[in-house]
Amino acid sequence: MTHTDPTRRDLLRGAALSSAAWPVWKAWAPHARRDAFPGRAPLREGKKTERVVFIAFAGGVRTRETFGTPANVPNLVGMAAEGVLYPRMRTANLGHFGATLSIFTGISEPRGIRDNSRGPDPTIFEYLRKDLGLSSSDVWITTSGGAQQTNYAYSLHPDYGARYGATTLDGDGIFNREFRDLLTRYGMPEPIAGREKELLTRLRGSIRATGPDSAKDAAKDAANLARIEEYILTELTRGTSDITGAGAGDAKALRLARNLLSVFKPKMIGVVLRNADIAHGSFNGYQEVLRRNDAAVGELWKAVQADDELAQTTAFFILPEFGRDRDLNSRRGLDHGDGSDDLRWVSCLAWGPDFKRGVVNETPHQVIDVMGTVCDLFGVDPVLAKAKRLKGLYS
Amino acid sequence: MRIHRHDFKLQDRTSTPSQDPQQRTTAARIRAMDARSLRTVFFDLLGRPPLSAERETWSGRGLDELLDELLGSRPFWSEWWAEQLYYFLLIDRFRPETEAARAIPEKLAEGRLSVRDALHRLALTSSFELRNPGADTFVTVVMEQFCGMTVQDVKRELELGKAAYDGRSARFLGHTIDSQAGVVKTCIESKQAARHLVSREYERYLKQPIPKERQITDARRFFRDPYEFLSLVREWFLSPEYLMRLNHPVPESNRLFVRGIFVDLLDRLPTDEEMEPMRYALDGLSDARPLRAVLVQLLIDGEEVRLPTKESLEDPAAWIDGLFRRLLGRPAAEDELAQFTRALKEPECRTRTVVYALMTSREYYSY
Repeated sequence: MTHTDPTRRDLLRGAALSSAAWPVWKAWAPHARRDAFPGRAPLREGKKTERVVFIAFAGGVRTRETFGTPANVPNLVGMAAEGVLYPRMRTANLGHFGATLSIFTGISEPRGIRDNSRGPDPTIFEYLRKDLGLSSSDVWITTSGGAQQTNYAYSLHPDYGARYGATTLDGDGIFNREFRDLLTRYGMPEPIAGREKELLTRLRGSIRATGPDSAKDAAKDAANLARIEEYILTELTRGTSDITGAGAGDAKALRLARNLLSVFKPKMIGVVLRNADIAHGSFNGYQEVLRRNDAAVGELWKAVQADDELAQTTAFFILPEFGRDRDLNSRRGLDHGDGSDDLRWVSCLAWGPDFKRGVVNETPHQVIDVMGTVCDLFGVDPVLAKAKRLKGLYS
Repeated sequence: MRIHRHDFKLQDRTSTPSQDPQQRTTAARIRAMDARSLRTVFFDLLGRPPLSAERETWSGRGLDELLDELLGSRPFWSEWWAEQLYYFLLIDRFRPETEAARAIPEKLAEGRLSVRDALHRLALTSSFELRNPGADTFVTVVMEQFCGMTVQDVKRELELGKAAYDGRSARFLGHTIDSQAGVVKTCIESKQAARHLVSREYERYLKQPIPKERQITDARRFFRDPYEFLSLVREWFLSPEYLMRLNHPVPESNRLFVRGIFVDLLDRLPTDEEMEPMRYALDGLSDARPLRAVLVQLLIDGEEVRLPTKESLEDPAAWIDGLFRRLLGRPAAEDELAQFTRALKEPECRTRTVVYALMTSREYYSY
């Protein structure tokens, strides 16, 4: 850690990363000694954090358009002023899917860009649920990118997997007008209650393939599934389905996170954004998505602050999976393939009751280290992950 | 002679697959299909269970006869095309909707396009371009999805492909090219692409990795003549490995689930307007069971489904057993039949309760 006595100037130097500061930012040493993950960390003495909002501000986002252009992201800058900003986070270009998955597994491994399958390594959601005995309604992910995104929920690892997965909601997939209209056309299902519900549970349990052992799990599972089902049906009647336009998928993912926080008060919510990738064909569209996402993150942050319980117990981590090329392509967009510092280095923001305030920490880290840090915060050891911890975070 | 699933299992345990393809094929040909295997084969080939009339027609008949009927048919190619679009994630707003793209299954059925031609056309659609924007993403996806390469292991080829994509002359995968179309053509016509296609299609149909030897010979056949694809699929389905697959149900994808509930409840396929929002919504959940249950109930409670009333059932046990056979592909076990019949006697249990219980069971979610 290089900054221990933050000043307003420190913050502005890192958070705003003005064009004058840019060459300095690029020249920062990429290599630094890191401590090995020290095994299972005890729950921190006097720790206040009880829940984490972990936002993959993904789709390929350069620091140049976020903390390098404060007008684009006033809310993120505001959060940085009350938290810790890490502007030296090293990424690996593994494709959006692979890179985002690595943020959650703490292991950088290549995955096909359109690979629509689960990874072999446990995710942070599985570690938390297994080690802390959390239920499916304690750990959520809201996503924005369609079918492929649900693969973040859990891995194929035999010791972890579906039974420890996060409950995943893809905002655009479920909460869109077409689906809501379809439900309206058919009419909402007639509730099954009372004795009929009991009989239904008994009949399901009697079907041979379910088996007596899994019947108990199924009953416990059924209660959680019923809550989630109820939530989905309620959410369909709110305004989420009406969000449209550029970045609507991301906006829905963030809206859902906000609603889930107030309804379930879960221990962990991952949010995976994706719409910034519009940058391939439109630089202006990309900036518009960033502004819109910043506003939505701001609403989420304010909602947390407005709730006494959440304000005292919620931490945020926000970072992209990687950046974008240095120069515009022929369509006046930004790809990701030039290996430049704009692509390889991104910024991470941490805000929470146990963290320092107004610090810019220039120590180089890897993006996967955020996963190790969140696990540490919960006192969980991600045994298979290669993630370390962010230095200089705790107050 | 009718051979049941039980017999398949015995054979799987006691014999090793013959190395003689003719012998293997002949052995498989004689087997007749029971309700479960018929349901599975229909799902595997057409992405749905059999319609009532098809169930009547094909129950107890040989797999080879069914393959003669279905392989290469228009529904077969429609399903194949839908699976390819899903593999390339050309779904939702990226789904190719042009006339030319929609005509591809028909052309495959008429033999006017080979599988390789169809995939080539798919890669040249504007949807593919939109889905994979920019040189890096486009070339990476073409190399990964068509050839099965890990681009991080062949970075130099990736850079050459990107140069060609941008219009510069480059030697990419052994060919000198200078265009985006050249990248696509080079990949799709490569031996790697033949090997990858054969491997992934075998795995998709048989739910197990292709044996090495078979991969080599089948990829060679496909590389030489892509119209051999149907012959390969036929051989795969008549192999002992497919019998193993029949004994090991796999989870249904959301796409197949939606098609399945429409066929099982309404004896018809969903329209695009019904299918896509439902599939898209289910794909938005890592555990789709809560929403699957909602959709099943939605259809059961809808106006189109006509379930008998309890009072109209002359033989409730026979009706329940029929449901087990139709929805789960097997008769009800004695204890299951007893439980269901007893429950149905209670005033609060309706016929819809029984159907709902079966269609939201774990067993129904696999095939």
